[in-house]
Amino acid sequence: MNALKAQTSTPKTEFSPRFAATLEGRHRTGVVWSVVFLSSTIIGIVFLTLLIYTILNQSSGYVAIQNKVNPATLSVNGVALEDLNHNDLVRLLQGNVSKGLFRQLEREKPMVERTRDEVYDLILEDVLQPQVVGTWSLMESLLNGAVIREDVARQYPQAELSFITWLKPNFISSPQSSDPLKAGVRTAILGSLWTIIVTFVVAFPLGVGAAIYLEEYAANNWLNRALQTNINNLAGVPSIIYGMLGLALFVRGLEPLTSGKLFGFTDPTTANGRTILSAGFTLALLVLPLIIINGQEAIRAISNSLRQGSYGLGATKWQTVWHHVLPNAIPGILTGTILAISRAIGETAPLVVVGAATFITMDPNGPFSKFTTLPIQIYQWTARPQDEFRNLAAAAILVLLLLLLSLNAVAILFRNRYSRSRSVE
Amino acid sequence: MATISYRGTFDRQMQQLLDQVLVLGSMVEQSVLDSLDALKRRDPATARRIYEADIKVNEKRYAIESGCITLIATQQPMARDVRFLAAILEIITELERIGDYAKGISKITLLLSEEVIDPALIYELQQMATLGLDMLRRALDAFVAGDSTTAREIPMEDSKVDQLYNQIYHMLMEQMTTDVTTVDRANHIMWAAHNLERMADRVTNICERIVYVATGEMKELDTNEGNVAGLN
Amino acid sequence: MLQTLGQVTSQYVIEAHNLSVYYGSFRAVKEVTLPIEHQKVTAIIGPSGCGKRTVIRDFNRMNELVPTARTEGQVLFMGQNIYSPEVDPVEVRRRVGMVFQKPNPFPKSIYENVAWGARINGFKEGLGQPSMHEWVEECLKKAALWDEVKDKLSQSGLSLSGGQQQRLCIARAIAIKPEIILMDEPASALDPLATLKIEELMRELVEEYTIIIVTHNMQQAARVSDFTAFFSMDEDRAGMLVEYGHTNQIFTNPSDPRTEGYITGRFG
Repeated sequence: MNALKAQTSTPKTEFSPRFAATLEGRHRTGVVWSVVFLSSTIIGIVFLTLLIYTILNQSSGYVAIQNKVNPATLSVNGVALEDLNHNDLVRLLQGNVSKGLFRQLEREKPMVERTRDEVYDLILEDVLQPQVVGTWSLMESLLNGAVIREDVARQYPQAELSFITWLKPNFISSPQSSDPLKAGVRTAILGSLWTIIVTFVVAFPLGVGAAIYLEEYAANNWLNRALQTNINNLAGVPSIIYGMLGLALFVRGLEPLTSGKLFGFTDPTTANGRTILSAGFTLALLVLPLIIINGQEAIRAISNSLRQGSYGLGATKWQTVWHHVLPNAIPGILTGTILAISRAIGETAPLVVVGAATFITMDPNGPFSKFTTLPIQIYQWTARPQDEFRNLAAAAILVLLLLLLSLNAVAILFRNRYSRSRSVE
Repeated sequence: MATISYRGTFDRQMQQLLDQVLVLGSMVEQSVLDSLDALKRRDPATARRIYEADIKVNEKRYAIESGCITLIATQQPMARDVRFLAAILEIITELERIGDYAKGISKITLLLSEEVIDPALIYELQQMATLGLDMLRRALDAFVAGDSTTAREIPMEDSKVDQLYNQIYHMLMEQMTTDVTTVDRANHIMWAAHNLERMADRVTNICERIVYVATGEMKELDTNEGNVAGLN
Repeated sequence: MLQTLGQVTSQYVIEAHNLSVYYGSFRAVKEVTLPIEHQKVTAIIGPSGCGKRTVIRDFNRMNELVPTARTEGQVLFMGQNIYSPEVDPVEVRRRVGMVFQKPNPFPKSIYENVAWGARINGFKEGLGQPSMHEWVEECLKKAALWDEVKDKLSQSGLSLSGGQQQRLCIARAIAIKPEIILMDEPASALDPLATLKIEELMRELVEEYTIIIVTHNMQQAARVSDFTAFFSMDEDRAGMLVEYGHTNQIFTNPSDPRTEGYITGRFG
């Protein structure tokens, strides 16, 4: 790029500045910086891709299942197991399980009431007792399929090799179980949902109310400034500390309230404060500073001319806040709240301290139930030695990610819709 | 204290208009002087020249008027500025009338070019003109200076001009009553004197405008008329 | 409670008496005495920073919304001091309405913009009273906006042009039936045509309301007002009233040389 030739007119004064041609250098600097920014973006994308790859890799693959008892040995009168009728299946079942187990199955649901397929499933589960003897990741399964088949045929001749996607509909609808083939995240999802509902019901009104007070009503004196500083600092406190606070305050200190004894709920399995209510309160404390700060930002963003217009018409402060400030701040407040809630859903450490049960199979049926949440379930599965639990964890992570992504999408949609209708320039 | 003005362009434009008004003033002043000189020497060529020069006077007057209107439309003058421009509009009208009086006297010169005129009358007429033009010159100076005090004093001298007019009137009346053939001639001379007397009145009007620019008041100025002999 | 007078008894509907306004320790307005005549347009002109806006915001106690502001002196509204302790500022603001420099309609529908103020102040429909619909229509007509918006009352107020938005703000100010309308440079953000419409509107509105307008535009003040007050700054940068009189006189022959200096653009 040629610099423009300077005109050869004499400068008007002796001290007229000379502008050297630096155009190329300036453009070059700009290019360098844009490359730096691009690289950082690419690095971020690379790590994100690795993360998703790792999860997906673990969430499907070959699984070798071996039955303890060979189905071929269970044929009756030469008829194979799959073709047996109801009565034969019942007799087969009775003959191959312990008396105690059969009595228990009868008690749960009498054999005559079960369909033929249900009895067949029972036989599969309790008689054949399939076990996982090996799992492989997705990439291994796709790339080394033949090698795997050979290995399995050699080491576990009885085993059946099939390609399983661990994230299947059953996964979401089944409760927890110690058998990886049957385990699902239903209890965890329900636990998360219950907890989050309690968190929202507690944190949202408190947080928004505090934000309104601090922005609209509080005078600018040292006390309120100190209050503001404290709230800002609380947002940065590590979440495990909230867990410890929750343990001391809600689980132990307010035990009659949180365990339900106060309301007459006596669940023999709980009988202590480690309930959804405690978890919800703890998480509410965790997200409260976020909601307050975000609420304050949203309210502060309302231009003062709107308030002036309202006051100029003879409105009181409350009328101005209720009719003008809040309705226009709600989109921002809700967006921030949804983001705070998504953070809360992913919290693990404080809930571990508060006492999420690591193994429960019963769905929570109220705020006074014992509970587990999705992140805790994931944590618990990754701590198990068997490989197949890592696959389950990967599948659960996918569920959690989907949940978070949809919440964020709702927040974004909300924000876009409201910002479009509110400000028509 | 020094005046800070944020109206530099406007000030320059008004100054230009003012200069043009002074040019117009000196044009009509010269016309009056020349017309009386032409009458004294009974010089028809000069008279005709003055007669035709009146066109230039009118053009000048219209040019200044147009400049005023433009400034009023484009510069939104307020207070003293708008009074000043309004005064210019009036003053150039008065000056143009004075120019017409000079033209009238020239016309009389053309009509009386063959006649004999009493030198005493010419002398009186020249006195009137001198007085009137002196008043005009001082009035225009007062206008430039914004001097309303002087502007209030000038109209007082109108009485002297009226006195001279009365003298001429009586002289002409005597002539006309003694010699009937002189009536025609006398009438014309009366008319010339009348023009010069009106010229002084115009200057009084100009002085009223000067006072208006300075004070914002519009009122007639005292011309000392009560002291003039001859008015019964 | 402000007494609800049926009629203005003196010719001055609102007066400032020795009004001084402080922001913290800084005196922004110094001892202004300014009587405003009933059903006339009074313009307040002067250079920037000489307290014009502060003074009119004192007329409806809007300065109280600024935490550091303090008023000394009196503002008599129909003879009663609006700063006396028993007077509620909220009621003052209903009776002394305000239109702002930058049009600020609410992000509601055009209809709601006009109706809301009336509603929160206790608008009652009933025998002999107009319905809310009729009242909104009347206010929009008085603000010379009805014809332009009558088919789109449910659209957002923010979808209008700048001049229309300002007329909407005037309509909503009228809707609460004030006695005085304060206008803080109402046309400074508008294009010349919209400005002229607002000026014409002021001349119509003054038949019913008293209008006080702060403006930077001298020609606008000259065009539109009956009385003009010229404010200036003293050495302490406090605003003060220099001259106050009929507009015709102020702009053709002002008494105070400072006024003349300002309006002709020559100081000294």
